Order: sequence, then structure tokens, then C-alpha cells
Amino acid sequence: MNQSFARRGIKVIGVTLLIYALLVAPHEGEFWPFSIYPMFSQAGNPWTRAMVLDVTDKPEMDIWEEHLLQNRTADVVPVGTYGVDQIDFSNFVTKTEHWTEQRQRALIHMFGSEAIAGRRWMVTKVRGELIGRDSVAIEIKPFILITSDSTFTNPNLPASEYGRIE
Amino acid sequence: MKWTEKISYQLFEPDRDQSPGEVIFFKLFELFVIYYTIRFAWEWGIYTELRNTEVVLALGVANYFDISIFFENYLAIINAAFITILSVACYFRLGYKWQYMVVMVLLHVQYVARFSQGEIPHSQNLIGMSVLCFAIGAIWFPDKKQMPRFVMGSIIFFIGLGYTSAFFAKLIGTGINWYDGRHLWLWIGEKSIDILSREGVYNPNFLQSMALQSTAVASVILLIGWFTEFIGFTMWWKKIRPYTTALLIGMHFGITMTMNIRFDAFVIQLILVGFPWYILIDRYVKTTPRMLQKWL
Repeated sequence: MNQSFARRGIKVIGVTLLIYALLVAPHEGEFWPFSIYPMFSQAGNPWTRAMVLDVTDKPEMDIWEEHLLQNRTADVVPVGTYGVDQIDFSNFVTKTEHWTEQRQRALIHMFGSEAIAGRRWMVTKVRGELIGRDSVAIEIKPFILITSDSTFTNPNLPASEYGRIE
Repeated sequence: MKWTEKISYQLFEPDRDQSPGEVIFFKLFELFVIYYTIRFAWEWGIYTELRNTEVVLALGVANYFDISIFFENYLAIINAAFITILSVACYFRLGYKWQYMVVMVLLHVQYVARFSQGEIPHSQNLIGMSVLCFAIGAIWFPDKKQMPRFVMGSIIFFIGLGYTSAFFAKLIGTGINWYDGRHLWLWIGEKSIDILSREGVYNPNFLQSMALQSTAVASVILLIGWFTEFIGFTMWWKKIRPYTTALLIGMHFGITMTMNIRFDAFVIQLILVGFPWYILIDRYVKTTPRMLQKWL
């Protein structure tokens, strides 16, 4: 091996870098495996995740109420137990803009209707934000109730929360 | 000598002869990459087949065609099978020198099908970059001595670049106050919901409790991590590389402790590429096994 190999090697890396830049620039910084690695780059912003609560035994009048995490009374359904990736699940719930019939039914499909049989599971959105100088508030918003064969949206929320429902 | 040539000397070490230790290490490293390539291909393929129904986020080539066709007809499974066969053939240098590039493209498709659900994970990027470096090496540096040196050098280059670019992404995305400890509180809260959602229970560990009790402690944790990312590019220099790598591994351990995010393949790969293992192997092995020479 010699100097020309090293020179050629760095040139090939340079061309790869150029292709890297050309691919990530128009694709919001991501074209796997190329990335600008933006994870955690925007700090301090409120976040929203998703969680499933088992409300089978809860009275109908209580299940749609927003509440703080520390006031939660329903058990959490551990989605990992059903083979669902919780990050995927969160993104599916928080990034969907239009909750079409198909999207709502996809929630049942994720877990499998036999897993939900006889139960009532509340898909919730969980929002965290900094309050004042020294605390983080985490609030649970009931969003879609799922059973083995049906879905129900939260009657307390404006229709705009669900986008277009067709 | 120009600065680019100086860096290329540090990455590729053209004056160093190929030793048995280097050959053995290279083939072990390639085996590691192939193992994870096949493992990811099947994990992503099976998940896509069983769980994905709707495209929430179009990534990569999925911006240009409907990736949901991979959600049915066992296409993701068939793709995993193709990736497996081609990867094994690549390892034994059977077939064509552009095969690794085909594996890269098929793996990209598998990734964008699996992660069309809204999340962009980065823990698999390093394996993807490694496959790409093998692909480039196989096509443009097929020589038995040049390919290992190019592959390892280019992987180290992109790892260093990735960490330093992550530092600047934070600086641009938030500003110099990125390390404010309260930001860590928010992330710990976010990850605690992910764990609660996945497992049904969550209890903060010792480091998380410490960070949540003191902004100063949380800020120091973030500042150390951020600085470590910044110096990622120093991996390009072979004498500094082991020290930078040790710091990066420590940083990942810290992220796992504070935010419950594990980077198994990532950290194993850092351990493999960041230290000169060939020197250790050369102490015990004096000749290159003929079979390995054939598979170079």
C-alpha cells in the first residue's frame, strides 16, 4: 500500500460525503443510514407520548376526564407484552393527523382483537412540559377508546383534534 | 502535506504492513456486521409483516413510492431472505463485487418499511454505515490489502463525523443553553412514559433520582455528554482514538442510565473499531490462516 491509496481513499470518502449531503438536505436530515443526528437537538420543548389504560372497570362518566399522571387510577396496559413497540405506538398516536376509520381500526389491529376481547382500553395522549423554574407537569388526555371490535373518540374533545374522519 | 492527506494517513495507515492479526480481526468484524445485518433484516421484516398497516412517516426512498406494499404478501420477509443470502455470499466473497451495494439498498428498503411508523431510531445507523463502507470498499478497493484498511478507516471517519455533527445539531437546534439540567428532567419524564407504556411500571434509578433532585447535577451530566460528542472527530487520529472511544462508550452508558436508551450494537461496534485489537491478536497468531486470506 502506498500514498496514492490513502489519497484515493480520502477522495472516495469526500465523494461519499457529498452524496451524504445531497441526500440528507432534501429529506429533513434523514436518509438512512445517512443522518445529521438531530436527536435531542431541540431541548426544553413540551413532548407528547401515548399510553394505554385499562378502563374496563371504570365508570363511563370518569373515563374521558383529563388528569395528571400522579392522579392516575387506571392500570397501564404494558404494550410490550403484546409485541407492540411502544415508540411506534406513541408515534402512531401522536403523529396521525386524520383519524380515519381505518386509522382507528389500526389501533385494534396492532394489539390483535383477541388480546382486547372483553376489555375496554383507553388510548391516551400524555403531554409533558416544564412548569415555572423547577417542575415538569405530565398530563393524560383520553383520546380513543378501543374494544375488540369498536373504537370511540373522546366526546369532550373538539372534532378538530381528530382531523378529518371519513 | 495537506490536512486531508494527514487525516487519510491516520485513517488508512498506508505505511503499515498487513499482519495476520489485522486479517483475523477484519474478518471477525465483518462477521459482526453481517450478523447484525441479517438480524435487523429479519427483526424489521417480521415486525413489518405482523404490525405495520399504515405509513405514518415516509423515510428515504419511501418518499418516492408507496412502501406499504411491503406490509403484505410477505414482501418484507422475502426481502430479509434475499439480504441473508446475499450477505452470506458477500462474506465468503462469492459472486460479484457490487453485491454489498445491493445488500445496502435492500436493507435501506427494509428500514424504511419497518420505521414508517413515525420513529427515526439511530441505533442501527452504524451498522448501515458499515455495510455501505463494505460496499464502497468492495467496488473501489477490491485489493486484499486495501479493502480492510479502507473499510475500517472510512467507518472510523463517519463515526467521528456523526458524533461531532450531533454536537452542532444541538448547538443549532437549541443554542448554548442546551445543557440546562431542566431539559434532562423533561427527557427523563418522556422516557419514563415510554417505559411505563411498554412495561406497565416505572421506577427512576439512582442517577435519574440524583438528576431530578438537582439542576446542577442534571446540567453537569448533559454538559459532559455534549462535550464528548464534540470531540468525536478526534477518533480520526489513531493515537487519540482509544481514549475518545472510551469516553464515547462512557457517554452511551450515561445515556442508558439517564434516559433508558440502549445502544447494544452501537457500543459493541465502538469497542471493535475504537481499539487496535490486531496488535493483541498478533501477539498470539504469527501466520494468516489460508482460508481467511481467501475470503478477504
